[in-house]
Parts: sequence; C-alpha cells; structure tokens
Amino acid sequence: MRRVLVVPITITIAALCAACSGSAAPANGGDGAQELTVFAASSLTAAFTQIGKDFQTAHPGTTVTFNFGPSDGLASQIESEGTADVFASASGTWMDDVAAKTGVSDRVDFAENELIVITPNDNPANIGSIGDLANDGVALVLAAPGVPVGDYARQTLANAGVVQRAEANVVSNEEDDASVVAKIAGGEADAAIVYASDVTQAVAATVRSVTIPSAVNVVAIYPIAVVDGAAATSTARSFLRDVAQGPGQATLRTFGFLPPPP
Amino acid sequence: MSLHAEVRLEREGFTLDASLDAEAGATVALLGPNGSGKSTFVRALAGLEDADSARIELDGVDLSALPPQHRPIGVVFQDLRLFPRLSAVENAAFPLRAGGRSKGGARTRARELLATLGVPPGRMDARPAHLSGGEAQRVALARSLIGEPALLLLDEPSSSLDVRAREGLRPVIRSTLATFPGVRVLVTHDPVEAMTLADRLVVLEGGNITQAGTPAELRQDPRSPYVADLVGLNLYAGRLEPLEEGAGLLRTGDGTLVVAWPAGEPRTQFDGVTATLRPADVVLHTTRPEGGSARNLLHGPIAALSIEGERARVRIASAPPVVAEITLGSVARLGLHEGAPVWASCKAVELTLRLRT
Amino acid sequence: MVALAALGTAFVALPVVALLIRAPWAHAVAALSGQGAWTALRLSLQVSLAATFLSVLLGSPIAWVLARGRFRGRNVLRAVVILPIVLPPVVGGIALLAALGRSGVVGRWLHDALGIQLPFTTAGAVVAATFVSIPLFVIAAESGLRSLDPRLEDAASAAGASRRYVFRRITLPMLAPQLLAGAVLAWARALGEFGATITFAGNLAGRTQTLPLAVYQTRQTDPGAAVVISLLLVALSLVVLALLRDRLWTR
Repeated sequence: MRRVLVVPITITIAALCAACSGSAAPANGGDGAQELTVFAASSLTAAFTQIGKDFQTAHPGTTVTFNFGPSDGLASQIESEGTADVFASASGTWMDDVAAKTGVSDRVDFAENELIVITPNDNPANIGSIGDLANDGVALVLAAPGVPVGDYARQTLANAGVVQRAEANVVSNEEDDASVVAKIAGGEADAAIVYASDVTQAVAATVRSVTIPSAVNVVAIYPIAVVDGAAATSTARSFLRDVAQGPGQATLRTFGFLPPPP
Repeated sequence: MSLHAEVRLEREGFTLDASLDAEAGATVALLGPNGSGKSTFVRALAGLEDADSARIELDGVDLSALPPQHRPIGVVFQDLRLFPRLSAVENAAFPLRAGGRSKGGARTRARELLATLGVPPGRMDARPAHLSGGEAQRVALARSLIGEPALLLLDEPSSSLDVRAREGLRPVIRSTLATFPGVRVLVTHDPVEAMTLADRLVVLEGGNITQAGTPAELRQDPRSPYVADLVGLNLYAGRLEPLEEGAGLLRTGDGTLVVAWPAGEPRTQFDGVTATLRPADVVLHTTRPEGGSARNLLHGPIAALSIEGERARVRIASAPPVVAEITLGSVARLGLHEGAPVWASCKAVELTLRLRT
Repeated sequence: MVALAALGTAFVALPVVALLIRAPWAHAVAALSGQGAWTALRLSLQVSLAATFLSVLLGSPIAWVLARGRFRGRNVLRAVVILPIVLPPVVGGIALLAALGRSGVVGRWLHDALGIQLPFTTAGAVVAATFVSIPLFVIAAESGLRSLDPRLEDAASAAGASRRYVFRRITLPMLAPQLLAGAVLAWARALGEFGATITFAGNLAGRTQTLPLAVYQTRQTDPGAAVVISLLLVALSLVVLALLRDRLWTR
C-alpha cells in the first residue's frame, strides 16, 4: 500500500511547488521575460485585447494577460487578492475604491464613453427615444446596480425623468454590458442601455440603436492606473503611456471610444 | 377437472416441445435431468414464459391468452421468492389482498393456513430473512394455496433445503397434495420425491417427453437411460442377432452382450431392441473368473461408487457400461474403490429383452 | 486507506470551514437583511422544489423506458437525456434560449400563439433548473429499476396481483430508496444552478434571482456579505442532508 502512494504524493508535491514558484517568481527587472496583468472593464474587452497584442509586438518578450469583468467585481478582486498590475475602470467610483483600499499610482483618465439605447432589429416594443423605455410592458434589460454601465444607465434615465417607471420595467440585472448586449441581440428583451462602444460592427448587424440626447446622456470617464504592489512597475507605466497617450488612443477610437477629457 | 397442456417454444439453441395431461386428484410429477426444460414448461403454464405456441386447457378453458394474474394458479417457485419486506403472514395473505380481500380477513385466513402447515405462531410475523429454510418453504406453500387455485404448480419445492429439512417437509407436501382438490403438477429432479409423491410421472429430456406413466410402468419398461437410471436399472439398446441355439447377441453402441433368445420369436435380426438388467444380478470379481456359466464378462475400472444404506451401487466403465449392486461388506472384502479395475459378470437369462414391433 | 480518506475529506471540508471562519459575523445580520438574501432564499426554495418535482415527473417515464424498454436507439435516448450533465451550464442556458426564448424554435410559438414567455420569469428559472437536474434523477431511477429483481414481480403476478398492485406493493417499496436518492441529487443540483439560470431566465430580485445569483451579484460589491449569504445555502443543504440521514445509502 505504501509503495503505491509514493508516486502520487511526489507528483502532487511537485505540482504544488511548481504552482507556488510560478506565481512567486518576480517579473520585474528591465529586460527578459515580462508578465503584465491588466484588469479592465468588460466594455474595454475588444479594444484592450488589440492594444495588448500591439504592445506585445512592440515589446518582445512581454506577455500581457487580461482579466475582463465588471469594474465593481474587478475592484473587489484586486482588494482581496491583489494580483493586478494595472486597473482600467469604467468609472471613477471603483478606481477611488481601489485607491482607498489598496493604493494606486500614475492615475490618468484615458477615454470617455457615452450611453446608447439598443433594441432588437425588429424593435418589437417600438422604442423611438429614451422616454419610451418607461412605456407599459417594455422588457428592459440593464446591467446590475454597482456595475458602472448599470449605474450610468439609471442616471441617464433619471436625467430623462423616467427612472422610476423604467426601473419597474427591468426584467433582468445582468452582470456586465456584454451580457446585456447578448440579451438584445438574441431578441429576448425589448430594449437595453449600453455603451456606445458596445455597438461594434458585428453587434450593429443584430441590433438597432437609438441615440440618447446629449442633454440627458451620461458621459462615462475611464481612469487607468498602476496598482500598488505591482511587480512589473516600469512595464506597467509603459503600458499606461501607450493607452493614455500613445497608439492605444487610436485603437480606442476605432473601437468607438471618445477621447479623454482635456 | 383436468389439465391438457401443450407448449412449444424455442430459445437460443433449445427447443421445448412437450405436452402434459393431468387429472384433479392425481399428482403429476414432471421429471428430467437439469436443463431439460421442466422449469420452463411450468413457467409457461403459469404464464411467465412467452411460448411460441401454447394450449393450456384447464377444464376446457384455454388459459394461454391470459396473463398470470388471471390464471387460477398457485405457484411455489424453486427459489421461493417470498417478498422480503413482508412478514410471513403478509406473504401468505398476499393473493387474498391482491384479490381485494380485507386486511383482517386475509391475515386470519393466512394464520390458519400457516398453522396447518406447521409454522409456529411465534414465527408468523417474522420476515423471510429471519425464517429457517423449512419455515420459508411452508410460507411459500401457504401463499400458493390460500387463493384456492384450480391448478397447483410446485417447482422443485424442496431443492433448496438440506436433507433433514427436506425429509421434514415431505409429509407436509404429501398431505397438501393429498388434500388439494384441483390439478397438481410437481416438478422435481429427485427420484425419491417423484416416486413417493406422484401418481403419474412425465419424463422430460432435452425439451421432449421421453416417457409418461405410473411409477410401476416406468419401472417395468424404462425407455431411456435416464429413466432406467431413475428406476435403478441398467438399460441397453441395439440390434439383436441370433447366436447359437437359444442365445442371441445384442449389439449396442458401446459393446455387445449375450442374451437369451426371447421365447417364440423367429431367429432373425431385430433392430431397436432394448434389454434391462437389474444391478443386483451383476457379480463382481477382482480377478478374471474362469469357467463359469455366465455368458457376459465385462471388464473396466470403477467409475463411481455410492453407498445407499447397507448396499453399494458400483458403476463400472466397461464396454458396455454396467451398474452393479453389492453389499457394503463385499466392498470392504474385495477392497473396492473408485478407479480399481474389476470384472463384472451376469448370465444371459438375467437380461430382460423388449422387442419393438 | 484511512489516511487517504482523511486527506480527501479535508480537501472537501476545508472550503466550507474556511467560509465559516472568514464570515464577517459582526455585521452578518445587516448583510442578510440588506442584500435581499431572504427573498433569494425563498425563491431558491420555490424554484428548486418545483424543478425537483418536474424532474421526478418527467424523469420517471424516461427511466422506465430506458430500464425496461427493448427498442433500438435506447442508448441514443439515454445519451440525449444525460447530455445536460456534461454541458457547461451557460451553454445549457444558450441552448434553452434557442429553443424556448422569445424567438426560439418552440418559444416563438409559445409567445405568439399562447402569450407565454419563459425568459425573465420564475417559470423560466424553473425550466433552467429542471434542465440540469433531470439527468441526475434519471440516472438514479434507471439504476434502481435495473436492479429490481423481476422474479419477485413474476411471483406477485402468479399470486394474482394486477400490474398496478404489483407496482404499488412490490416494485415501488423496493425502488423507493433509489428514487429518493435521485430526487435529492436533483434537488441539490437545482438549488445550486447558476449559469443556465442567469443566461436563460436572467437576474431580477424576487423573480429570478435565486441564492447563487444573489451571492454572485453581492460579491461584486460586498464580498463579506456574499460569504454570509453563501452560508445560508450551506445551512439549507445541511438541513436536508440531516433529515435524510442514512436513508440515501441503506436499503
């Protein structure tokens, strides 16, 4: 019996050691293999994936790993597990949160985003303006409160004076903007409020957009920062520069984001 | 009331084609070696086996189209099949309850019947797992009788019991059969059980009936080696050829025997002749006997030796094979044991011939 | 052997024990009342019990046919019914949308002709939970049916019992432990269902936000509260397991 155990136990211990050493290995230092971990709001998924690829090409030997998700969830994760080097949030609120609980540096606003109403292609509930979202029987999907685009949506509805009736129409609080878009693209609900940048070329084929007048629209400001305790600080700052001033800006534009406030 | 049953079915390489007749008041025993199809036949009677063709007429009514629950039968299975979660009383009462009788009435009747069959009252509420072999058998019997069926089917009712229990059960089965008013079919491979309990025997071998008749008829005229063995005789079959004056030669597939020519028969060749020889008429020798009057001298090693009371049956692998019956004392005196080579002799007149015409 | 078992048990027990240790007991009450936890609990119970009931109702005939039927394609039927187990729950949710969503294959007809909509409703949550828990019940029930000894049923028939009586007094009592085990497994799976529910039925407090969904949402903003709500789920499961005691494992 004992002999049988030796092999599996050895393998287990070896695997554990490899796992431990893997995560403890410092990725700092100027040259050599670099690993950069970026936590970014899910609305940045397409744009940042491209920026990451370009960054890797420009800095050979560097690997950029992304964790996309709702900004509130990401903030939580950073605060409890602290494995991010860079945090790009869809709202200042969650950056403030991380700054307070973990600490950030080199914080800069790098993009803006506006909201837009989307409906399925056949527009079953005849939505023509944001006010129509308060109509009886409209099946409205929003991101959950706490998720930046969910809070922004409720704010713009408040600006339009229809937030209470619209809230009564909400049939689902999704975890992020991508899930909201999916519900509309699939034709399951009547309308939703998402970022303008969410309506990519591919998405545009499956949904109809209804613009929100700037008077009531909310402008989301996206900050990015290096998280305190990051391992690869110089690479992180390099990435930040890319995004906030360098070629990242052009990329963000192609993906529907607006330039940051001056 | 009478039963006439014809069953024909084919299973993977086995064909059963048999018919059986039974009268109320007489017990018919269905006998045969293992695998001959006895249980299959009885299951077909009960409706638990899909036959290719079956006619089961009980008192003129054809049961073959009816499912088991609508046939007026009571069955005791070889493996008993008592319901494990019901007590002995509940098991016995089951057919009445299934038929809609009240719980109280059914249980009372069940207790009466179990008592008649010899189950102690203190054991009646026990579950089958806690009953002895004999008690369980009695419960199974009660369950089969309580519905007052017209046809009682007992499939090897004692085979799962040890010898002592079996002997204890036999009087119970005998009296049950004796007092049962309907038709009774008993399946068994135990010759003693068959001979003592049955009024008529039906022998099933390899899916076919080889012989049917009373025990006496079978004893007098066994028609197959199995039946001969059953009734305790040696049986030989083959062609009879004339030898010299008063004698003939019986050529069997295994060897030849000299027989006395049957009186009044023409001296020509006869095919399909059978001859029986009582084992008690066979004499054994440890050395080759010289100069006796016995015309048959067989030689071979002892294949099997079984003791029955004060007698021993010695099966010899000679050509043809023969079974001899001698006293225990002789076994000891001659130093006989399995494998020992012996000589067996018998006289020509001791073989009883039967010519088929 | 005992040492290995202890190791394995520790592996399973550790996360739950850690949950107990890390729970912010100080403001547990606030956490429970503020996050709609009790609504989610009530909804979870309703949805999971309804899903279990449906799983037994729909799964029993399937198990019967799989165990007793003699037709070609039986293995295909079994594979189809068991599929939800291997399907990632979100994929299950997407598939349910394709079938029963507003523009789904059948859903379209339900919506246009009968005015029935499943997504975003509690009924939809029940459908999602049933979809993932049926296979567990069918597996247990089929196994139970197969292990039945037909000889006892034969004996009952020969003793004059109708098919219904045989089923009631002989078959069902022998099957009961397996059926109960299957129902409990189905219930447990329905209770913990997340991916298919959130994809097919959505997430709205009081209507479709079951406990797992509530935990997930709470965790985004208040991880401590999420732990407390998670413990609600754990407590619920322990209560049911305690009620069952040994019955799952003994005949």
